[in-house]
Amino acid sequence: MTTAVLDRELQRLEGLWADGLSETYRSYLDAVAMHAPDVQPRVALAAALVEVGLRLQGLGGPAAPPAALLMGDLCLARSSRILTDSANKPVQIAFARAVEELSGAAASRVESRPVRELLVQALAAR
Amino acid sequence: MVSGRLRFDSFHPTEFIDLTDRLREHVRRAGLVTGRIHLQSLHTTLGLAINENEPLLLRDFQSMLERIAPEDATYMHDDFSRRTEVALNEPVNGHAHCRQLLVSGFATLLVEEGDLVLGRWQSVFAVELDGPRHRQLALQLDGDFADLVELELSRLLRADPEPIATPMRRLVEAGGKRMRPRLVQLTAQLGPQYEPLRTALLAAAVEILHNATLVHDDYVDESPFRRGRPTVAAAEGAERAIAVGDYYFAKATRLIAETGNPDVTQTIAAALEAICESQIDDVALRGAFPGDHDSYLRVVRGKTAALFSAACASGAQLSNAGAEVVEALRRYGDLLGVAFQMADDMVDFSPSSGKPVGLDIRQRVLSLPLIYAAEDRQVGPEVRRLLSGSLGDEEVARVAELVTSSDALQRVGDEARALVEEAVSELERVELNGLRPTLISLARSAADRAS
Repeated sequence: MTTAVLDRELQRLEGLWADGLSETYRSYLDAVAMHAPDVQPRVALAAALVEVGLRLQGLGGPAAPPAALLMGDLCLARSSRILTDSANKPVQIAFARAVEELSGAAASRVESRPVRELLVQALAAR
Repeated sequence: MVSGRLRFDSFHPTEFIDLTDRLREHVRRAGLVTGRIHLQSLHTTLGLAINENEPLLLRDFQSMLERIAPEDATYMHDDFSRRTEVALNEPVNGHAHCRQLLVSGFATLLVEEGDLVLGRWQSVFAVELDGPRHRQLALQLDGDFADLVELELSRLLRADPEPIATPMRRLVEAGGKRMRPRLVQLTAQLGPQYEPLRTALLAAAVEILHNATLVHDDYVDESPFRRGRPTVAAAEGAERAIAVGDYYFAKATRLIAETGNPDVTQTIAAALEAICESQIDDVALRGAFPGDHDSYLRVVRGKTAALFSAACASGAQLSNAGAEVVEALRRYGDLLGVAFQMADDMVDFSPSSGKPVGLDIRQRVLSLPLIYAAEDRQVGPEVRRLLSGSLGDEEVARVAELVTSSDALQRVGDEARALVEEAVSELERVELNGLRPTLISLARSAADRAS
């Protein structure tokens, strides 16, 4: 990913990048081959932001403190905006459905599929 | 009340143009169930008539008009040597004006069960008397409208798993002003591809998104009540509140993506990002409570105005309105959103509002009246001293008293009204199909809630 894109998309989230977001992002780079080369970094970042955002919020576990929740909200919102700029409609919808499944399971206190599995599947949506 | 314009072309000097189906479509699209549709010709040589659409009868009408006011008779109106201020392209049409006296320039039709009340042989005609021309009628529909957004909200929330849906239903059914969906519905009427059902879906999704942000806000603010009921966090616990907020955040963005309009999804996504950023700023500013005017505006532009602005723009985008209209509405929504928040801040000091006075003070929520009171030469020192300590009932009551005794509320009210007028002026630069009065009235009522 170019520095310019990084700078823009990670504004206010710089601390998270050093704190695990970069590794999560790299792991999703392996799952974006079906996307055009110029958007691959963006959709990988979108997936990483969802995974890190939900973790920050403590979804499915003990509630995060307010500051962490808001940072998690920003990750989800940023991811959503990146997807509207870079991904097609089926991918946008699949990402939303993944979050619906995870949060629905958390509210019902039932096991859900792992977040990464859901998001990798969403990345391949057509 | 819904206003609009009906535009059409005539192709002959005299012509009876049957508008019945188009008016029926207007009624259906507006969701008018029982009421009236008022029509008014905006021309002096175009009339309105309700009669039978039988071709020979229409020729009889035409002959009658020609007999009573023949085109080749002498009309003083056509003697340009005697008239003043004659336009270069002034037509010779005294006969058409005289004929217009024989048909009405306006009509009111009744609507029942979502359809025009017309007898078996009745049709509604625009009567062209000086065609061919491009023509328009002003329309106003009033009465009882089907609330498509409420129906859509109810349908959308019924489909979700109970542990998620129940708390959100409680929140949504508790009320709220529904300003954002109303703005979507209004602005969606401005483009050529207005579809009421699709619009209602977007409007409901925007309202759900707004409520999802409130669920997380209430946890962050530790608010016990929202709209007179326990908040989701208070009633269900923080873990459930986080899940409910996430679920409806995702569901709303999915519904918006499903509209298939990239401009709409980008507008809403950008607003959501602005909201989240300003929430972080809002919490960060609480260390410097009550803050200053610039910080207040920065937070409010994101926290409140961003979704107002997006609601206005996205409705217009959904119906494919022109870029100039979309941008004017985006600015209108932004200014309206800030004014709305200022008025909302004032409600915290109004005993007649139905809300406990001083809730914002107790929760240390960013509030412009508090900022102005803290700056006030007379009451400012005491306000700042009280706000810097713990805020029990006594302190909250005293701060509220000090704010009310200063000119802070007057200043906030003046500022909100000035913003509304600025918002209204944004509307002057674009064609709004007769919706301008409704948008102006909505803006003014939003700013006047606390007065």
